[in-house]
Amino acid sequence: MLNDLLKNHISGIPEHAELRAQINTNRGVSIVSGNLVSNIRSESSGVSARVYKNGVWGFAAKGEYSDEAIKDVLNAARNNADFLNTHAGRGKPPLVGVQPPNNPLKRDFIDVPQSAYIDFCRQLDDYIATKYTNLASRTVMARADSMEKLLYVSDGGFSHAIMPRAYIYVILSAETADGDTVELFEVINGGEGYFSELYNNIDECYKEIDNLYEELMKKREGIFPNAGVSEVVLDAALAGMLAHEAVGHTVEADLVMAGSVASKNLGREVASEKITMIDFAHTALGEKAPLPLYVDEEGTPCEDAVLIKNGILVGYMHDRESAMHFEVKPTGNARAHKFSDEPLIRMRNTAILPGKDKLSDLIASIDNGYYLTRTQNGQADTTGEFMFGITMGYEIKNGKLGRALRDTTISGVAFEMLKTVDMISDEMVWSSSGYCGKKQLMPVSMGGPSLKCKVNIGGR
Amino acid sequence: MTNKEIAIFTLDALKNAGADHAQCVVTTGFSEEIDADNGEFTKMISLFDGGISMKAIKNGKKGTIFINSLSEDEIVKAAKDCVTAAEASVEDDAVRIAELTENKSFTCGVLKPDKEKFFFRIKEYLDEIKRTYPEIVIEQLVADYSYADTIFMNSNGVEYDYKNGYYSISPMFSAHDGEKTTSFNYFGLSFNNLDESLIELAGQRDIFEQTVKQLGAEPFEGKFEGQAVIVPSCLGDFISMALGNFVSDSTIIDGTSPWRHKLGQKVASDCLTLSANPLDECMVSGERVTDDGYISENYDIVKNGVLESFCLSDYAARKTGESRAKNSSGCYVVKTGDKSLDEIIRSTEKGILVCRFSGGSPAINGDFSGVAKNSFLIENGKITKPVTETMISGNIAAMFMNISAISKESICDGSSKLPWVRFDGITVSGK
Repeated sequence: MLNDLLKNHISGIPEHAELRAQINTNRGVSIVSGNLVSNIRSESSGVSARVYKNGVWGFAAKGEYSDEAIKDVLNAARNNADFLNTHAGRGKPPLVGVQPPNNPLKRDFIDVPQSAYIDFCRQLDDYIATKYTNLASRTVMARADSMEKLLYVSDGGFSHAIMPRAYIYVILSAETADGDTVELFEVINGGEGYFSELYNNIDECYKEIDNLYEELMKKREGIFPNAGVSEVVLDAALAGMLAHEAVGHTVEADLVMAGSVASKNLGREVASEKITMIDFAHTALGEKAPLPLYVDEEGTPCEDAVLIKNGILVGYMHDRESAMHFEVKPTGNARAHKFSDEPLIRMRNTAILPGKDKLSDLIASIDNGYYLTRTQNGQADTTGEFMFGITMGYEIKNGKLGRALRDTTISGVAFEMLKTVDMISDEMVWSSSGYCGKKQLMPVSMGGPSLKCKVNIGGR
Repeated sequence: MTNKEIAIFTLDALKNAGADHAQCVVTTGFSEEIDADNGEFTKMISLFDGGISMKAIKNGKKGTIFINSLSEDEIVKAAKDCVTAAEASVEDDAVRIAELTENKSFTCGVLKPDKEKFFFRIKEYLDEIKRTYPEIVIEQLVADYSYADTIFMNSNGVEYDYKNGYYSISPMFSAHDGEKTTSFNYFGLSFNNLDESLIELAGQRDIFEQTVKQLGAEPFEGKFEGQAVIVPSCLGDFISMALGNFVSDSTIIDGTSPWRHKLGQKVASDCLTLSANPLDECMVSGERVTDDGYISENYDIVKNGVLESFCLSDYAARKTGESRAKNSSGCYVVKTGDKSLDEIIRSTEKGILVCRFSGGSPAINGDFSGVAKNSFLIENGKITKPVTETMISGNIAAMFMNISAISKESICDGSSKLPWVRFDGITVSGK
């Protein structure tokens, strides 16, 4: 845990400055077809300083946490801000102030021993190996990470927080009758918290593995979809990816300023009136958000950023600088992954809100289309053009589920595709196991309901 | 303490904690970064960091740990943790550390940055892009100098040290004209000197010109099977997908690779020779020592269409009875062909020039599909129109067997050296 060495160094700095000490931990175990191929622990810690001067920033970080290191990074950050201001000054006004937060530490760090990850994964691997002998391969992985951050800001903000996450991933593959191999991947439970808190009932994990195996057997008999635009139901498990990748990045204010599709659409209709999308700070739909954030790395209290309301684009996600540019209140989206990373505008818990329809009615309303249930990855463009890899799905014929699908890809343009949404289920499914990549990695969560819409589907 | 003293201390700490065999890699270094957003300088970053990777083997069980603290107390604590992790592990005869062969020192690149000149070159770069390509917006530019001093040591007496420094730039950009906006594009390149204007490195002008031409991009209707000419900056993605699926540790260990039993057999068209060459003179600060502690050598993965080597770590090689790869760098080189790019385009009847690919991980058997970004249709030997919302699909193993041309020209970006390659039998589908 971090001792408070920063307090004595923050006062008396003439410019806006942030001092942050941080520890990131990672634990990882991978068992591939019974072989323990990875058994890793890592810890990265240090201190950083960031200084604002007339529209440019100086940042410095050192992998050491001491009074001397704090002085070093503060001096280096000020020198960097001076260098850039002298060589390429922008003449911008001081940053807008915020209500200084006081956010003391609310939980301790628990260092779960490596044997706990290994033993649990081995039990799961033994279960799979014993029960499912017709698999081509099996992989069981445990991953746990944590970020502890201590922050002081020159205008009075203070925050000390820790965010731990832990997940188990299972990948199963099987041979098809035509000699190909198909694969499925599942995150088995997990979430915010420590491994020992989240994984104390292995029977629940066995059930998830049984479901995964059953789906894999269906996929083994699967077909390739027909390429082209199709009516589909995107399962709730995919809606979060849509919210994050296809829309979320285009409404990060730094990308808006770079000319993303959202820059020309504020106040315009960009989706069906059934669509409302929010980047939640710490509380979503009356419950704690999957990865709650209370204060960002600029010392701004985190607030929800309402992005789309009833189909109209109404706002962006902001740090202090972009909020000043757009003359709005900062939303607390400035986040940094490691001590050595500078804060950037990042998503937190981004979701499309649920509707009132039943999933079964969404499926029943399609004569000829697809129900897409699993995705492993997605990418999007600042134009809103997106693609997701689809790893599981089913045909829909006359309102009923048919044969399973093999791997495919869907694509579309977010603000066009969202206008085709005409039914939204009443479920809400969150996913928090991934990292978002935007110069740095960042743990994020995403969520949503099932959507009925039209997308371009790849085929063979 | 010097890096060597830290490494010796770390090996002692691992042995004292109970390791039978121990290995460590100690790195110290710094970086200086200058960033611009939307063409304007916005931040300057200094990072002073280092770290120690430790590996302990006890009773045939392995544990690994990384810390970025170099203090004695933290090293001793981490060494104990590492051995505890090993004790909790599973005995595996394939777990080893490198044997002693010949200890060596290496030095590469720029060991001290010229901050003022680097800034001048970056400013010149941004100004030149604004002047020559006014439609281009550099959404983000990360310009960086990195220096690292690394020592690898193990309890078998292996000792290598490597000092290197280099400059790099990574621009992300798009073109804008009124309401028209293109998809973003990006690339990265590294270099060892500041003698030349940065815009002249690695064929960037072609990429910026292509991006401007994308302003007229439209979806096309229909679907066809044709040829895909893949540009160097995108070819690396396809190579990485292929090698990840066909010759990497996990797919060879679990036996799911379609190339698992194809060593010495034909896996690609005769014209393809694909190598991993960190020692190639155009590679910037290429790998000198593998992750496992062996001196890096260039090697062929595919030679004249025949699979010569998997890309295996020492562990995976022992586990599968195959040979370890001679480097772990990913510095891929594709041997150039005998036709100019112009000739390749002129001989393409119906196809697509793929300038960026946005796709998911391919299926185990190599099936892939994704969006061809920043791309152009080729019809009757001419690049006819820029397209958007266009998907390409195929099978990577089949693609490698269906290479119909490789260009004479190639681009080295400091970490790969790749030509333009034309693949037949690709499905291209529009709206």
